[in-house]
Amino acid sequence: MRGFGSLLVLAAIPAALAVKSHDFKTCSQAGFCRRGRALSARAAENPSWRSPYSVDASSVALSPDQASFTAAIKSSIYPDVKFSLDVRIHDDGVVRVRMDEVDGLRKRYDEAASWALLEEPKVSQKVQWTVAKDSVKAVYGAKNDIEVKVAFEPLKVTLFRGGKEQVVLNNRGLLHMEHFRTKESVPKSKETVPVPEEGLDTEDGVQAVLGVHPRAAWFEGEQEDGWWEETFNSFTDPKPKGPESLSLDIDFPNHGHVYGIPQHATRLDLPTTTGENAHYTDPYRLFNADVFEYLADSTMSLYGSIPFMHAHSADSTVGIFNAIASDTWIDLGHPSPKSTTSHWISETGILDVFILPGPTPADIFTQYTRLTGTPALPAHWSLGYHQCRWNYVSSEDVRSVQKRFDEEDIPVDVFWLDIEYSEEHKYFIWDKRHFPDPVDMIKDVEAIGRKMVIIIDPHLKRTDNYPVYKQATELGILVKKGDGLTDYEGWCWSGSSAWVDYFHPGSWDWWKSLFKTEQHGDQWSWLESTVNTGIWNDMNEPAIFNGPEISMPRENIHYGGWEHRDLHNINGMLFANLTSQAVMARTDPPKRPFVLTRSFYAGSQRFGAMWTGDNLGTWEHMAVGVKMVLANNIAGFSFSGSDLGGFFGNPEPEMLVRWYAVAIFSPFMRAHAHIDTKRREPYLLDDPYKGIVRNMLRLRYSMLPVWYTAFREASVTGLPVLRPHFVAFPRDERGFSLDDQYFVGSSGLLVKPVTRKGVTEETVYLPAEDQVYYDYFNHNAYRSDAKGKEITVPAELHQIPVFVRGGSIVSTRERPRRSSPLMRRDPFTLRVALGKDSSARGELYLDDGETFSHQQGELVWREFVAEKPAKKSKGVRISSRNLATQKPTEAVDHVALATYDSGNAFAKAIADVRVEKIVVLGLPTKPSSVAVEGGKELQWTYTDGVAASDKKEGTASVLVIRDPKLAVASDWDILVKA
Amino acid sequence: MHPWLLLLLPLHVLASKDRLLGVSPELATRYVSTKKGTVETWQCLDGSKTIDWSAVNDDFCDCADGSDEPGTGACPNSRFYCVNAGHVGSYIPSTRVRDGLCEPECCDGSDEPEGVCPNVCKEIGAEYRERLKADNKLRKTGSKIRSTYIAFAQKEKKRLEEEIAASAQEISTREKEVDRLKDLVERTESLSAAALEEMKSSPLYQSLKTHYTALKSLQREHKKHLEREKALGDILDQLRTGYNPNYQDMAVLEAVRGWEQLAGLPHINDVGKEEENADELGSDDVEDAATEDEEVLEEGMWTAMQLEYQLDDLLKTDYDGLLLEHDKHAGTPTSPTAILFNLSAYLPDTLVPQYESLRDQVVGWLALFGFTQSKSDSAADTSKAQKALNDAEHSLNLARKEKADKDQELARLFDSEWYGQEGEWKKLSGSCIEKEVGDYIYEVCLFDEARQKPLRGGQTFSLGKFAGWNTAESIEKGTPAYYSKQLYTLGAKCWNGPQRSVMLVMSCGLENALLSVAEPEKCEYEFKVTSPALCLAPSAEDIKREEL
Repeated sequence: MRGFGSLLVLAAIPAALAVKSHDFKTCSQAGFCRRGRALSARAAENPSWRSPYSVDASSVALSPDQASFTAAIKSSIYPDVKFSLDVRIHDDGVVRVRMDEVDGLRKRYDEAASWALLEEPKVSQKVQWTVAKDSVKAVYGAKNDIEVKVAFEPLKVTLFRGGKEQVVLNNRGLLHMEHFRTKESVPKSKETVPVPEEGLDTEDGVQAVLGVHPRAAWFEGEQEDGWWEETFNSFTDPKPKGPESLSLDIDFPNHGHVYGIPQHATRLDLPTTTGENAHYTDPYRLFNADVFEYLADSTMSLYGSIPFMHAHSADSTVGIFNAIASDTWIDLGHPSPKSTTSHWISETGILDVFILPGPTPADIFTQYTRLTGTPALPAHWSLGYHQCRWNYVSSEDVRSVQKRFDEEDIPVDVFWLDIEYSEEHKYFIWDKRHFPDPVDMIKDVEAIGRKMVIIIDPHLKRTDNYPVYKQATELGILVKKGDGLTDYEGWCWSGSSAWVDYFHPGSWDWWKSLFKTEQHGDQWSWLESTVNTGIWNDMNEPAIFNGPEISMPRENIHYGGWEHRDLHNINGMLFANLTSQAVMARTDPPKRPFVLTRSFYAGSQRFGAMWTGDNLGTWEHMAVGVKMVLANNIAGFSFSGSDLGGFFGNPEPEMLVRWYAVAIFSPFMRAHAHIDTKRREPYLLDDPYKGIVRNMLRLRYSMLPVWYTAFREASVTGLPVLRPHFVAFPRDERGFSLDDQYFVGSSGLLVKPVTRKGVTEETVYLPAEDQVYYDYFNHNAYRSDAKGKEITVPAELHQIPVFVRGGSIVSTRERPRRSSPLMRRDPFTLRVALGKDSSARGELYLDDGETFSHQQGELVWREFVAEKPAKKSKGVRISSRNLATQKPTEAVDHVALATYDSGNAFAKAIADVRVEKIVVLGLPTKPSSVAVEGGKELQWTYTDGVAASDKKEGTASVLVIRDPKLAVASDWDILVKA
Repeated sequence: MHPWLLLLLPLHVLASKDRLLGVSPELATRYVSTKKGTVETWQCLDGSKTIDWSAVNDDFCDCADGSDEPGTGACPNSRFYCVNAGHVGSYIPSTRVRDGLCEPECCDGSDEPEGVCPNVCKEIGAEYRERLKADNKLRKTGSKIRSTYIAFAQKEKKRLEEEIAASAQEISTREKEVDRLKDLVERTESLSAAALEEMKSSPLYQSLKTHYTALKSLQREHKKHLEREKALGDILDQLRTGYNPNYQDMAVLEAVRGWEQLAGLPHINDVGKEEENADELGSDDVEDAATEDEEVLEEGMWTAMQLEYQLDDLLKTDYDGLLLEHDKHAGTPTSPTAILFNLSAYLPDTLVPQYESLRDQVVGWLALFGFTQSKSDSAADTSKAQKALNDAEHSLNLARKEKADKDQELARLFDSEWYGQEGEWKKLSGSCIEKEVGDYIYEVCLFDEARQKPLRGGQTFSLGKFAGWNTAESIEKGTPAYYSKQLYTLGAKCWNGPQRSVMLVMSCGLENALLSVAEPEKCEYEFKVTSPALCLAPSAEDIKREEL
């Protein structure tokens, strides 16, 4: 035995280099998922399968003043169990379908939507339901082409557009809401038989065969599979509430592509998990989990969950938001290339589905973000470069890292501290041996316009000398064990730890009080920090080292008596939400908070940024990181990125350089590294790598106006900052599966970062349109056509394939600085990339970047337009116009400004910030004159080349207007005469 | 009337004298315009372009080399010269020009628009000179200490040279002694060895020898296993107590639990209880556990204790002696004639040289394993002579080694890769400095080894042995920068990490001291160290700068 034990120990060591798949369940290891899949299998085999659920026609009750109705639902297999249905049509056409058990033994969790939704959606007062014999129907939409039909027998909800089925709930009869029952209520046979499925633990391997209601067996199966108690690895889930899962099929009969439901390391165009030639064997799983060294291609669940899915075809896009917070598995299939089936299997919760009618991806974003909120407009500095490492080990270390960046003149905005700053991982409490002067250190960083971000994790070390733990205990706001009384204790970085129950209202003001940097009464608060310090919330799934699936036992009890299983996927969002509020509450008036979260849910976009967790320093992870960030962008959460360089491992210089190129075109750009890795700050690179990275970072900084403008748009319209092809060109089928190139906001920038080793050229797809695309760097003009076109472009290590779509005007600031706040007085450069029709347009949004004064109208929102002064003219007029005056109501999120005062304080403060250079690409001929309208001739140079309106490819003609001395925030016109 | 007229920006009006803003004195002569009629032009410093003189420092970058905007920051990668009157002039990169920040490098504030940065050169300059003065003073005092080190090295040189000469003398004496004894042994041996060899052909003796060899090998393997077990125990102890960074890895958790069970340790999660015992438990405990397991032994079998302590004695048995005793015991002829022993007498003459060389080889081999202490009467003379020879050879070897060591030490004394061209580091060789940080005392014994000693008991880890000075490619051997870093490598291996190593970052100071310890990467330490050995007396220029 001894020897054997030693062998096991030895064998375990090399295995530490891969994902611990065995720590996480597969569908076959989760009772409710097995049941869900078995239900689906029985339905598929049974030609006479029919859903047992039906609407009691006599119970339909229409609301007199709005588009909602309720009805009773019956189940033919459990005639005594009562269910209710509630269907509403919101004023924007979104349909909300809710179903719950009525008067059951217990109550199903029904609060998921309340945490996800920005506010209670307004129900339409125009749309009318009409009751027919077999259904309830409503017709609406701008063209009256949308019809929602709720069929009674069996229950089926269908959204049609133009007579075509768009979304169908319970199409295949897989809807099943397991009602609450007690163990005693079902008679049991003593006989036991082993369950044949593999991968089960022995405790699970023996199940009681039962006399299930004979009518139910065809539907629910012969066995009580995992109803009462389940064991996974060494963890037994007592499941005191018994079976309560929810199975629902949602079909898209006319959509061949589905996207969304992050977070998974998969392609953007989600591959199938069911049907012949299924790409994956296990369903997509939504169960927030700390997956160590996750796989770069898997449907395994990761740190966050957004149960929001787009279904897309060339003529229609629809969306589904399934507001459920429990462990959820989603099977996807394409019965034909033009149709999609999905099957959602959740452990607990009511049915609460929002059907988003589209019909375009842009409409879907508007509809989705009206529900869960648009991304918060981030602090401008947070779009700069973030330098992190586990760990910068002392205040001296932090200062010396900053010094090295400045010596090498590499821009950076933020330095981060991981967990080792804290004494015994008691967050907030500095380890004074290594950080004797934390505030001075932070101020040294802030002196260069930079910020620090410091980690605060949710696990509290259980020791009385830790005021945060002590107070939480005294307030009685810790998460409880299954008994609902005892504080739960688990193991995390801090050793024996407890977790605050942020669902407990008693925790809310208390958590905010901890972040105050000035003393308030007797309350302990983080005096040793500054009002500019950002916060990093990690491990908030929550990650618990000795818990089932490295998380919290599902039977733990939260506020209101809910089990952890009910709300697991919301836990991380709530923590980041409260931290974000706490950070905001440090000052009055508040500053925009910066909070990075690892775990997230639908709605998390309102509270800060996310990253894709602990990736590996491999090319595969670099590539899938791009796809994951895109998936997050289309799921409403634009402010996202992956650890630059890979968290684990030591990337070689080539990989690191390519990763910088990926990161400078990610909304959130942070280099991070595991404690076991070599240091890899960019100044440590040798030339030419160092110089390449410096130039890349300077490129990012020059494009900050583009990013910030894109974020304004996202914060108002919900349109993502990164836009994959199906979003930018929804009718171009060739682009539907593209997920390695994308557009940045509405800027017209098209990017394809290189994510493969040893590449010297790259193929880029230009969308199906008759348009010119200019290489951002050398102005080479490429042309696409109505079929779309693949081009091959040079992509040496120092090159990034970046293109400006013809018809765009891109604003940049080209003076390198040490940090972004130091750029605020720098002049702008405008790149006018003339389109096929010789016109172009672009926007620029500016404000102070850190307060909420923009919500009072202290902002500058400009539009630059280039167009022919007359129809046949070969010249062009370039104008600067005030968008904020034209559309004050659309300028900022959350407030509809009635008017805009162009003399606002911010506009005045940048009154002398000018446009120093205008570059016009694609003019047909050398101008005879370039002048501010009505003024004298400007200085300019012209290099002959391909015109935008030509059919030719090659270097475009370039007009450079030298320092026109025009204010960026003023109206002006420049006339370029042919 | 167009509204744009109102929108034209107030230019940062730059009078012609400002065309020289940011230009250093040595470049000032190149910032002169060329006049052709009314047109004033200027050529970019790299000659790439000719521009209007008015375009110099007009806040727009015209020249590829950035030379037209020395004073504005409009060109990336150019430099701005701050005159810093009252202090020393210096360059700042263009990225810092007009960025709204006042940097000490540009204490006159000339890189920012008027009114943004006050001129603080007077204060900064005074501070700077004060610092310079203090630094010069430190270097002066330090260099005096350093010169005592150099003097020490000179003395060492003399001492070593004298000792080496003495050693050489001794070696020569000892060589003669060895020659004499060799001769003696050869002559005695020719009388006795042959008889012994004959007896050794006995199957019993041969079998005994085979047993001996087998046992010896077994012992070697056993020791190897014990060492491996100990090393494994150490690794696992380290894993158990230092698990945190990898604990989220469940394999680590299982490994820790497995080890605790095996070694009978309390679970590390039971905080508080383990504090006192944890360190003493561990590997010792494993051996105890092993003993317990094997307590029931067959009659006559050796215990682990016996194996450990008595096996060596057994292996030291004098087999030759036994052979002779055995002969007596068995009643075989006890006094073989000398001729019998002298096997060579029986051999054909042609074989004698081969036999003798074989015999020498065997004797040598026996000597190596300590077989030669024979008590036999007949071989006594040989053994005595052999022992004297062995002793003499041993002494000779010692003397030679001593000389070699001293030769090496002398060679290193003024070797730039060792104690420096002036031998200034010799004095510090082997001297130890230490610092308490957190739960450990960190120690480095210069030119020897760096260690981490836990304060609250537990294992001392080697952080590495001296491996050399600053190895960065750009650093020239023997320069002050070369001696500013010392590397100690190949220390104890980290679990899941590299072998520990230390970089000493050294600077001039009056004392040999370890100032700080950092671990910028896991198991790679950085010690900040001061030493007078690095203090070079300030040059006349250095001193002059104090006055500026």
